[in-house]
Amino acid sequence: MITNQLIDDLRRIVGDAQTSVSRAETELYSYDASLAKGQPGVVVFPGDTGEVARVVKMSRQAGIPFVPRGFGTNLSGGTVMVSGGVVICLSRLNRIIEISPQRRCAVVQSGVTNLELQNVLAPLGFFYAPDPASQKVATLGGNVGENSGGPRCLKYGVTTNHILGMDVVLSSGEIVRVGGCACDPPGYDLRGVLVGSEGTMGIVTEVTVRILPLPEKIITLLVIYDDISDAAQSVSDIISAGILPATLEMMDAPILNAVEDSYACGYPRDAAAVLIVEVEGLSVGLKDQVTQISELCRKNHCRDIREAKDDAQRNRLWEGRRGAFGAVARLAPNYLVNDCTVPRTKLPEALARVAEIVHKYDFKHGNVFHAGDGNLHPLIFFDSRDADQLKRVKKAGWEIMEACVELGGTISGEHGVGLEKINAMRLIFSEVDFAAQRGLQQAFDPDRLLNPGKVIPAFDPKENTTKAQSHRQFISTETQRAIEKKISATIQSAAASGKALIPVGCDTFPHFGNLPDRDCENLYSAALDGILEFDPYNQFVSVGAGVVLDVLQRQLSEHNQWLPVRPSFSVQDHSIGGVMALAACGPERMHYGAPRDLVLGLRFLNGSGQRISTGGKVVKNVAGYDMTRLMIGSAGSLGLITELTCRVMTIPERCSVIGAEGQLAACAALASEVITSRVIPVFVVIMPVNGQGDEITRRRCKLEIGFEGFDKTVTEQLKRTRILFEKTGLMISREQDYSVQDGIFKSTYTELSQAAFILRTDLPLDQMLGFVQMLDKWLPEPQLFLDCGCGRIFAGFENMHNGLWDQLCDAGDRLGGHVVMEKATVDFKAHNDVFGFDRPQWKVMHRIKAALDPQHVFSPGRLPGKV
Amino acid sequence: MNRADISEHYDEISHCNRCGFCQVACPIFRSTGHETGVARGRLALLRAIIEGRLEWTPEVEAPLFDCLLCGACTANCFPAIPTSDLIIKARAQYLEKVGRKPIHRLLFDHLLPYPRRLHLAARAVALGKNTGIADLAHALGLLKIFGRDFAQANEIVERFPTRPLRDKIKNGAHSGSGQSLRIGYFVGCGVDIISQDAGHATLQLLKKIGKSVRVLENCCCGLPAWSYGDLKAARKLARRNLSIIAAENLDVIVTDCSSCASFLKNYPQLFREPERQHEKAVMVSARVKDVVQVIHSMEAAGTASHPAVTVTYHHPCHAARGQGLTTEPGEILNRLPGVEFRPLTEADWCCGGAGSYAFAHYELSRQVLDRKMSNLQKSGADLLITSCPACIMHLSYGVRKHGLSTRVCHISELMV
Repeated sequence: MITNQLIDDLRRIVGDAQTSVSRAETELYSYDASLAKGQPGVVVFPGDTGEVARVVKMSRQAGIPFVPRGFGTNLSGGTVMVSGGVVICLSRLNRIIEISPQRRCAVVQSGVTNLELQNVLAPLGFFYAPDPASQKVATLGGNVGENSGGPRCLKYGVTTNHILGMDVVLSSGEIVRVGGCACDPPGYDLRGVLVGSEGTMGIVTEVTVRILPLPEKIITLLVIYDDISDAAQSVSDIISAGILPATLEMMDAPILNAVEDSYACGYPRDAAAVLIVEVEGLSVGLKDQVTQISELCRKNHCRDIREAKDDAQRNRLWEGRRGAFGAVARLAPNYLVNDCTVPRTKLPEALARVAEIVHKYDFKHGNVFHAGDGNLHPLIFFDSRDADQLKRVKKAGWEIMEACVELGGTISGEHGVGLEKINAMRLIFSEVDFAAQRGLQQAFDPDRLLNPGKVIPAFDPKENTTKAQSHRQFISTETQRAIEKKISATIQSAAASGKALIPVGCDTFPHFGNLPDRDCENLYSAALDGILEFDPYNQFVSVGAGVVLDVLQRQLSEHNQWLPVRPSFSVQDHSIGGVMALAACGPERMHYGAPRDLVLGLRFLNGSGQRISTGGKVVKNVAGYDMTRLMIGSAGSLGLITELTCRVMTIPERCSVIGAEGQLAACAALASEVITSRVIPVFVVIMPVNGQGDEITRRRCKLEIGFEGFDKTVTEQLKRTRILFEKTGLMISREQDYSVQDGIFKSTYTELSQAAFILRTDLPLDQMLGFVQMLDKWLPEPQLFLDCGCGRIFAGFENMHNGLWDQLCDAGDRLGGHVVMEKATVDFKAHNDVFGFDRPQWKVMHRIKAALDPQHVFSPGRLPGKV
Repeated sequence: MNRADISEHYDEISHCNRCGFCQVACPIFRSTGHETGVARGRLALLRAIIEGRLEWTPEVEAPLFDCLLCGACTANCFPAIPTSDLIIKARAQYLEKVGRKPIHRLLFDHLLPYPRRLHLAARAVALGKNTGIADLAHALGLLKIFGRDFAQANEIVERFPTRPLRDKIKNGAHSGSGQSLRIGYFVGCGVDIISQDAGHATLQLLKKIGKSVRVLENCCCGLPAWSYGDLKAARKLARRNLSIIAAENLDVIVTDCSSCASFLKNYPQLFREPERQHEKAVMVSARVKDVVQVIHSMEAAGTASHPAVTVTYHHPCHAARGQGLTTEPGEILNRLPGVEFRPLTEADWCCGGAGSYAFAHYELSRQVLDRKMSNLQKSGADLLITSCPACIMHLSYGVRKHGLSTRVCHISELMV
């Protein structure tokens, strides 16, 4: 019950004018853009993070649930209270705090809309990649909560791939900062977990996002079809051919006409479907992609291909696409939208199934969707004022979800589970999976006050506790199952006898983390060495965790594909499970992403030996909490990963590095110029050459810049970089092609890994030089590796003196980053925490560990804080 | 005549599928961030009333009456739901159910229909303001029209001219130098009482192109009453004007107030077919022109030479969305010799004046105005041109309050 006392308290915090309690006002917070309804008891509009925290504390004291809300445009009921409670509306947190092209990041408050940010970035030559169609009115806080996608996500990935950090008010009212503009803070990937948590784990009040330089050129095509299945087949063919346009959107006839009735966007009214295909990047070579795409579309009987002549035409095409959901209001008062994702080759079948179901329930529908991602948006038209229609439409929606899950897809690609799809979660997850996800949620919100009743269905003893009704997104072999069972038995007996286990792949990098706090036995995954499913057309592969990376790459290369990761350090024979558990990657991350960006789903055995599934095998998936990212980089402290599904890519035509030599300061200046320019390097690395005795900034360095992709584009980028080198007077030392799987840093890693200590420092890009100068002062000639694209510095050295570790931690912190001792002597580890100073968010990590591994079976003591 | 019943519009209201796109363009929502201040919320409110979840109580007053009626929501709405029109009808029903305030009765029933009485009232206010004896105006009770925000709202109008425009220019026929065109000049209340420079300029301009210019003895066009939801009062005013205009033999009726122009053009919607008034309204409204249209079609316009000056343009809601006059002002300004035209960012966003809105909603209106002023400052223009006296008054206030050196004037003034 919301008491008058609580209302008075809330008024004192945010002010009378920013507290709404009347029936009329709360009625307006009983909905979002979905069909869900639920009236809150009170709505408050805090003006800053501090007020949010005080509102949370007050509500918690009163035991009243609360939910954060932006502009309320989400499509799954995520911001609608189940019953009563406090809506914390963040619409007043609408300031853009900082835009930093040098750091490639921006800091904004949660109530800033996606488009407002884009509009501020564009004049500076930058953009923020996720672009939900509702970007005009969708706030970034909402984007984070739902893990929003958008047309451009085909090429760039979804929100979670672009959020670097955030300020979060926990359900205790405590304010913590998670991540920041420096990569990979120590411990679990909390920002990965928070993104897409639909306001059930914390209230994000400020976000740090990655920004990217605008592409040099964009070509937009409108491809017109007389048959929708031809359009779907074209999409499948384009992706299978290894072309990655920035967007690949489809709209069918009902949508085209509804949009044209609203605005003249230039869509053909008599077409069965159109594709909006956009390719972007360097102007050189872009036309070739257009030619290739056009050929594939013609092969699939397209009627016409039109290229947008100018920005105005292009904008009109997009204006229509983005307004499609609103425009269908012309056809009926309401629509139900599903946002299932299916493997792309299943699109024609999925569209046909949808049409069948809609027809069966006597409705009309239209399709407007992210075809390239296989992310459907069938809009079923109806009138919610008619109770019978409402009942039927919900049935139709349910059957569509069932059909897509059957086709190997998932129930939500980007709109979220919220209230609308909560029961459908049972189509893909089991009670055991739910238990793990509930545990994760409660680690953040022990009292279950944050947006209760969302995402995970309530426990139901009647439901099968071990497997979901149809676990079709995971394929397992009998051998794999048998080995898993054996390992599971080992875990159970360890748990029963109080023993501890350390998951081990190929044992190539055993140094990671703090010392175990008791004796541990190794738990090997090497036997899980089967490649379970490789679908080159949909570009994913499912493998046992024990599969050796080299073996996998060889298999993939037979289909001209690869897993775009070149892990640092242990240079051969890593198991794929090991790479992912340690989130090991090299400087190529700036282009291909980190392991967290490559894994679509996984399975692991938890501390009770239970088999937990997370994610799936489609590229867009927001069904349930993101336990996949929680596991990536968890370093074997939450369970043993047994199976992983990763996205794979077409092998680039050419990989080539251009290297130069010069003083550190000159190299760093050039690196920074390249990073903010229009060329698209795969890595930018500086390695100082030791043994010269000079002050570090004047010391001779090697600068290495890599380009991978189409031959033509690589050649052009090499040319432009060469010109830059010559202009700055840096001496070009080499230009050379290299093998895609091996890269060029293997020998560097081997050398570095010999050092007794390896320090990893992650910093904002513009702070690297400052830190290197300090390192050079404090350490005798460290061996340095500067990953300038990601702000990461590796330093190898032999000795540590007392007090130095504190100095290093301090320095990292002061510059807005953090340090981790990736490798250190046992003596060092015995006296220090290799993850540095204690941070408030570590408490949450410890609670997550306690929830998923209550017996502390896995790698006890390894985590930050020695837990 | 017919009682207001919002449930007649249930279908239109139900067509809002809550996509939220109206939020981007609603000046009030952009200022407050409250759902009560945006089309989606207001339509949800009406739907809740129709479906019986909410009653007509003073609780719904603020959401209904805080709307600027600028129409930006509809321009951003793919199904183009006419929210402003629906709000006006809802206001009407609200007034019927909850009641009109006496002060509104005074204004709409007893002052606006009668120019002479309005002049007297304005004089009283002017006297009060210009002599600093605001108490006098208070004593007359007139300014209570403007509600609780009056103390601040009082600052909006800098000075009232002591005599109305109509006292300075003669009603009736003025002969012009044009060939054959018989023009009727519809003098809006804003021009009559406040923006008199615009009125003088317009008359001078019209005399250049018309054979005769008749200064009409019109009363208020009715828009303020209509916006307030007093549809009966609005119709009464419209009927009065229709009979005044129809009695004259005119080719074109011109007004230099875009709000009046848009409402005059909408007169047919006030009356149902086949009412006689409807027919009359169709005939009259077809001949109504905003002075912007007149200037745009004048070949000789802009021959007046100007010292080098940079100008920018504010599109009144009733010109841009009310009449679709979006490109004309720019075209006019671009062809003026010596004038450098710099388009204003968000030029068609409401300035917050919205007729008398600013007086009754000072705080909200100020936030909207601040946004406009920050855009104005970025334009760096010497002159801010527009075509609605209410905008001129509010923009001038903004310029004063923000300490800018920009001068605000009517587009007619630039032409003579």
